[in-house]
Amino acid sequence: MTDIRPFTLAIPDARLQHLQEKLALATFPDELEDAGWEHGAPLADIKRLVHHWRTTYNWRRHEASINALPNYETRIDVDGFDTLDIHFVHQVSPNANAIPLLFVHGWPGHFLEVAKLLPLLRASEQNGGPAFHVVAPSLPNFGFSSVVTKKGFGMAQYAETCHKLMRKLGYEDYVSQGGDWGTFITRTMAMLYPEALKATHINMVACQPPYRNPLALLTLGFKYLTGTFSEDEKAGFERTQWFEKHGSGYFKIQSTKPQTVGYALGDSPVALLAWVYEKLHDWTDSYPWTDDEILDWISVYWWSRAGPAASVRIYYEAVKGEYTAARTYETWIPNVKLVSQYLRLGRIA
Amino acid sequence: MAIIREYRIAVPREKIERLYQKLDLTDWPDELEGAGWSYGSPLADVRRIAEYWKKEYQWEDAEAKMNKFPNFSTTISIEGFDSLDVHFLHKKSAVKNAIPLIFVHGWPGNFLEVTKLLPLLAEAEDNGGPAFHVVAPSLPNFGFSSGVKQPGFGLKQYAEVCHKLMLALGYSQYVSQGGDWGSTITRIMGQMYGDKHLRASHLNLVPSLPPGPKSLLAFVSFLSRHVLKLYTPAEKAGLERSQEFQKSGMGYYALQTTKPQTVGYSLADSPVGLLAWMYEKLHDWTDEYDWQPEEVCTWVSLYWFSTAGPAASVRIYYESQRGEFPAKAGGYVQGVKLGLAYFPKEIVRLPAAWGPTLGPVVYTHENDKGGHFAAWEQPESIISDLKIMFGKGGGAYNVVNGASGYE
Repeated sequence: MTDIRPFTLAIPDARLQHLQEKLALATFPDELEDAGWEHGAPLADIKRLVHHWRTTYNWRRHEASINALPNYETRIDVDGFDTLDIHFVHQVSPNANAIPLLFVHGWPGHFLEVAKLLPLLRASEQNGGPAFHVVAPSLPNFGFSSVVTKKGFGMAQYAETCHKLMRKLGYEDYVSQGGDWGTFITRTMAMLYPEALKATHINMVACQPPYRNPLALLTLGFKYLTGTFSEDEKAGFERTQWFEKHGSGYFKIQSTKPQTVGYALGDSPVALLAWVYEKLHDWTDSYPWTDDEILDWISVYWWSRAGPAASVRIYYEAVKGEYTAARTYETWIPNVKLVSQYLRLGRIA
Repeated sequence: MAIIREYRIAVPREKIERLYQKLDLTDWPDELEGAGWSYGSPLADVRRIAEYWKKEYQWEDAEAKMNKFPNFSTTISIEGFDSLDVHFLHKKSAVKNAIPLIFVHGWPGNFLEVTKLLPLLAEAEDNGGPAFHVVAPSLPNFGFSSGVKQPGFGLKQYAEVCHKLMLALGYSQYVSQGGDWGSTITRIMGQMYGDKHLRASHLNLVPSLPPGPKSLLAFVSFLSRHVLKLYTPAEKAGLERSQEFQKSGMGYYALQTTKPQTVGYSLADSPVGLLAWMYEKLHDWTDEYDWQPEEVCTWVSLYWFSTAGPAASVRIYYESQRGEFPAKAGGYVQGVKLGLAYFPKEIVRLPAAWGPTLGPVVYTHENDKGGHFAAWEQPESIISDLKIMFGKGGGAYNVVNGASGYE
């Protein structure tokens, strides 16, 4: 337990200066007339954000707000890989019986997605709810955790990392919350560690039709044949199809050629900004991103310990091996309670 | 008659300087141990070429070499779009009745891909082969042609530009050679201007479908060969390669057909990003071609210094999915005699028996060596095909009125 160390983020001035030098040489493409969002991140937005980044954006403000949270790091051994330094936020409840909650981010997300939940979870008991201890790691290759140097670090390894972290913090049993890769990682944990992970809350619900439940399957079939899906269901199908047809290019390239993609993401802050910003816009429900918020998100990738290129390797590894992402939703996982939230137009629900 | 201007490639000094400034600031990613090529362009390769680009490559020398070829430009109007300045090479033969041939490049190719063919064509001509007048444009959004400003510039418009270019040069009838987008575009030219204007096409990317029930004999033959697995070793390897390409090599295609603008920021702002993006294809799509750093830097520089900028070059993928002539495999095109060249390391290498579903095939050549950039990797093979196909006794001999290729 002694090697759980407090973590403080402090990006050296020289690196901030180097970023400014790159931004000063930013070379923009042109754009088709009236392109809107059809072809990807719009030029006016990117130019505006880069200008803000160069002039009025204050990284030290955001760095300080990160450091105001309870950050730690510790070493975790994952079978077959070098020991990893795992950074995490750990909010301990004064209630010793609080439920340990593991929060797992995805891509292009990061550990700070837990930040808005922390005060609400802290106040939960006063508001008649249960108390929680919250653990929100930076996944390996993300945020302020180590880079993975060997091939094959897939869902099972991410699951192992998170489980070992919880156990190291003294949590025998725990529950989880996650979306994006957080969904697949926590459901893999449910397959691998059902004795420890008691319940998973997921907000990205990839799943198959209810083959095991004849009544549900019949209802589904009836709705399909008579066209009586609800408006929400119809909208969900349309959005899922839109994602497949128009929004999954990043998935196809990141799951096949992550190294090729990585050169631009690591070398050009503009490239990284456009790549991530497109998702912040396309994947949300008219969320009113401020320019500071956007640059705060991108900065966690730009300043990440592993570098932005490493973050996309999860896509390549997750479609291979024994524990693929797909396995989590092709499998009925017993013994682990599942809570799923279908956000109306939020993601691929 | 259209105004044809001599064109001199002259990339401004400040553009060259900015490239070096950016290369100096490069931040490199790491790489997984033992990654090889399976995750994409290897770090050591990209670093080595970038180092060469920075320290040894002289764009001015490459530019001077390019300017030794007969470069021209002309303005072409396409309805619904701003008029375009189209840059092209035009190498005329001394033989008056030479066959007008348009060579159409693709992505990430360039007009220079024709240049290995030129001396070989001249040599073939000296040795009794047909003569050609060769036209090799930079497609709009590529090389030294204009960028397109409006959406909707699809394959129909690309075909129209190529056709209008030939007309502008006084070639009412002509033939074509192309791979990659050059294959797709010339096929659509065949649909739009076939027989009357485009008389024959040589393709080194053959996007055929299996013969369908309409051609009963071919269909039965296809079924029995498929069921009994009677493909030749070359065809079997080709099918496997095509399937593997679909599985692990189409990420760039999925991205460029849906979010070209997002990709464009990477290609425009990071020279090593552009290098890695292109170099992966130069490696994966060729048959162990021994790319020299100088060659790679020229190919990449043609994108980096292009008139329209590198981001514009991937829009063809997006637009190709829509419009009046979207990209699709198969389809029989009348009136355009076909020469089909199959190369073992082409990204889509399908059985030669499927070729006749594309049109009246007069010549087929199954090569033992070569890949996607056939004119660059195996120029002798392309020349040999053109010589046989268009020469005396060939299946496309004398297809062009008054331009048999011989005095």
